[in-house]
Parts: sequence; structure tokens; C-alpha cells
Amino acid sequence: MEPSELERFEAMVLPHLDAAYTLARYLTRNDHDAQDIVQDAYLRALKYFSGFRGGDGGEGRAWLLAIVRNTAHTWGRRHRADALTTEFDEEQHSDVVAEYHPAAALERDSARETLHGALDRLPPEFREVIVLRELEGLSYKEIGDVTGVPIGTVMSRLSRARLRLQEALCAGKKGE
Amino acid sequence: MTHRELELQLDAYVDGELEPEDASDLEAHLKACDDCARLHEARVTLSAAIREQVPALRAPDALRSRVRATLRNAAGTRSVGRVVSPGAARWLALAASLAVVAVGSWRLGLSRAGEDALAGQVLASHVRSLMPGHLTDVVSSDQHTVKPWFNGKLDFSPPVYDFAGRGFPLTGGRLDYVGGRPVAALVYGRRQHLINVFLWPATRGSVGGPRPVATRQGYHLLQWTTPEYAYWVVSDLGMAELHDFAQLVQQADSAATRPAAARPLP
Repeated sequence: MEPSELERFEAMVLPHLDAAYTLARYLTRNDHDAQDIVQDAYLRALKYFSGFRGGDGGEGRAWLLAIVRNTAHTWGRRHRADALTTEFDEEQHSDVVAEYHPAAALERDSARETLHGALDRLPPEFREVIVLRELEGLSYKEIGDVTGVPIGTVMSRLSRARLRLQEALCAGKKGE
Repeated sequence: MTHRELELQLDAYVDGELEPEDASDLEAHLKACDDCARLHEARVTLSAAIREQVPALRAPDALRSRVRATLRNAAGTRSVGRVVSPGAARWLALAASLAVVAVGSWRLGLSRAGEDALAGQVLASHVRSLMPGHLTDVVSSDQHTVKPWFNGKLDFSPPVYDFAGRGFPLTGGRLDYVGGRPVAALVYGRRQHLINVFLWPATRGSVGGPRPVATRQGYHLLQWTTPEYAYWVVSDLGMAELHDFAQLVQQADSAATRPAAARPLP
């Protein structure tokens, strides 16, 4: 690769390192895996860069995050049999009945831990839309691009994920 | 409108994704319907709680260095061993200033005056290395690329280690001239800093651990001697971190030269 091309690549994707790490970290719930995934994703991004015809920083961010997400899912299949591989069933996982986890009761010392714990217990398909929307501020269109689903699906996942978190938040407040 | 449809709309409304026309319809409905108003209120509260309690994270510095080193390495795969191009050199110079220079010479007695003069040369070499195009002759984060590169250029084969796992990724190496002889200079990165390690074979001087020699012009210099090599380390990195780094190098060296050891990386 020409040095100028590498510079262009770095200028476009390195500023999104924090976003990439945030997504990987919440998807894997594990710092070590998240770091490996981000590094792997940047290598893949470099490889595919010649095919990327995006312009401004926003497009570059969604493009990179899509690669991070795919890397995390591949990684999950390979390294963590349980983490990201649960077959996602839109309907089954859409039950908004809060699951009761005895261990989670211990975390209910504060609302902070409850919300954190509730996010961690969401299926990855729900967790990622929350991270992309609430933490990274992506638009529905961008979230659809990153996760590879239509905007309608983005909306319903986001809505269902929020319902679950809301219940956790209420449960946390009652427990205080 | 069913309850479910309304919820979907409500989320889109809170996220600013609703068409203006639909948004004003929904706003009118919110004024009229207490249940929906409460639902809306709860959504706004939840978003605020998430933003407050579930933070967006900052990538660890070690990851930052690792990603940069990996990219440079991968991008340069087809041209490993070439003299670094001006563009890449400029980037490197911007990126960091952690270069380890191991300078060793049997000709140099480690008298105080001799050490002072040597420190001056090492520092000058470090500063020169930071100028565009001077940092590295071989760009690679792979110790097995950097070490053989010195073959035929020096009368010794310098030990080369990568400490990317400890947050000090190897960036490359170059030939330098210190104390009246050609020496090996190895370059490492630490966040935005560069470290130069100079080394050369040592036949005199007392063997010991890394010790600070001087701080000049904002750069710290550390020096130590192993049974085989004299080492100098220079960087604008803080003294504590630089000392940690020097110890990593020293430990790697002693592990590698211990007869029974299987050369584990530190």
C-alpha cells in the first residue's frame, strides 16, 4: 500500500477507535477479547479499504463499526461458544417478561449496576442496537447498515430492548 | 393505532427519526393521552439513565499503539526492509518518540567524562532520528524481520524483542554511529512517544541494571550494561515508564542468554 493511502486510511478510521472498542467491549463483555477483535477489525478494514468509497467521517464510522460487529460475531462463533452464537429468534427473544436471575439480585445494590447488568443480559442483537444508538448516536439508517437489517427491524429491536432495560431500571429502583 | 405501533413511533420520535408530520401528530396525541405521556417520559428518562450510567468507552492506550503498529506493519508488508518513505517517516515522527538506542563500544571507558560525552552523542542521535525520514531504516514490528536486517551491517547481531503485549510495540530499527563505532538503534512506541534503544557490544564497564544518566532538553537517558552489550535508552516518555521499559529489555535479554532458558518472551 502506498504511504499516502495508509495515511488516508488512518485519518479516516483511527478517530473511531474509541467507538470500535466500545462496541466490541459491550458485545463481548470482555476487555481482552474486545481488544483482539478491534485489532483484527482494523486489519480487515485495511484490506477492504480500496473497495470503500465513502466520504465523510460518519460513513467511515458506520463502515468500520460494521466490520467490528462482523468480526465480533465470527470471533464469538470461534472462541466463545456461548457468547454470540445463540440463535436469535426475533419472536422468542421479544418476550418482555423480565427474566429473573438470582445472581442479578446481588447486583441490584444500585441502579447503575442494574442497568449495566440488564444490558449485559440482553441478547447481542438487542445489546448492539442500544450501544449504537444510545452510546454512539448512530441514525436508524446507519444502525441498519452496521447490523445488516432493515430499518423496521432496527426500530422494533430498539423498542424491545428499551422495554427490557426500562423494567430493569424500575426493578432496581424498587429494590433500593 | 395499536399500543405496539405507538411504542415504535414513540421510540422513533425520541430518537428524532420521525417525519415532521408524524411527529406533530404524535405530539398532539401525547398532550391528550396520559398513558402515552407517561410512556414518553419513561423513554426519555431511560435514555438519560443509559447515557449517564453506561459509558461510551475509551480505547486503552496499549490498544491504540498496537493497532497503529499492526497497520503500519500490514501496509508495509510488500516493502519490508526498504528505507521508509518520506510519507511514512513523517507519520512515524509525528506519532511517537520512543526509541531505544543500544550503544556499546569496547573503546569507551565508562568514566564520568566519557559517559557524559556518550550521553551527548546518544541524545543527539535520538533528536536526529526524530527528524523526518531519519527514524528507521527497517520498518517492522516483527523482531524476526528487524534482527536479520542488521546482518552484514554490523559486526554483531543485536538481540531484538517486541513488547507490544506490554504496551511498547517495536516499530523498526536503523544503523547509527555512536562512540566512534556503528551501533544498532531499535525504535519502540509508547502512545505518542518514541523510544530509541542504542546497543553495542560491551567488553568493559560494570554489569548492572538500568539507571538514569541524565535528563536533557526534555529527554531522559538511561544506561546499563549486560555481560554482552552496553545499552542506552532515550525518550521523552516519563522517567518511571521509561525505567519500566528498560527493565523489560533487560529481563528479555537475561532470559534469552540464560543457558537453560527456552527463550520465552517477556
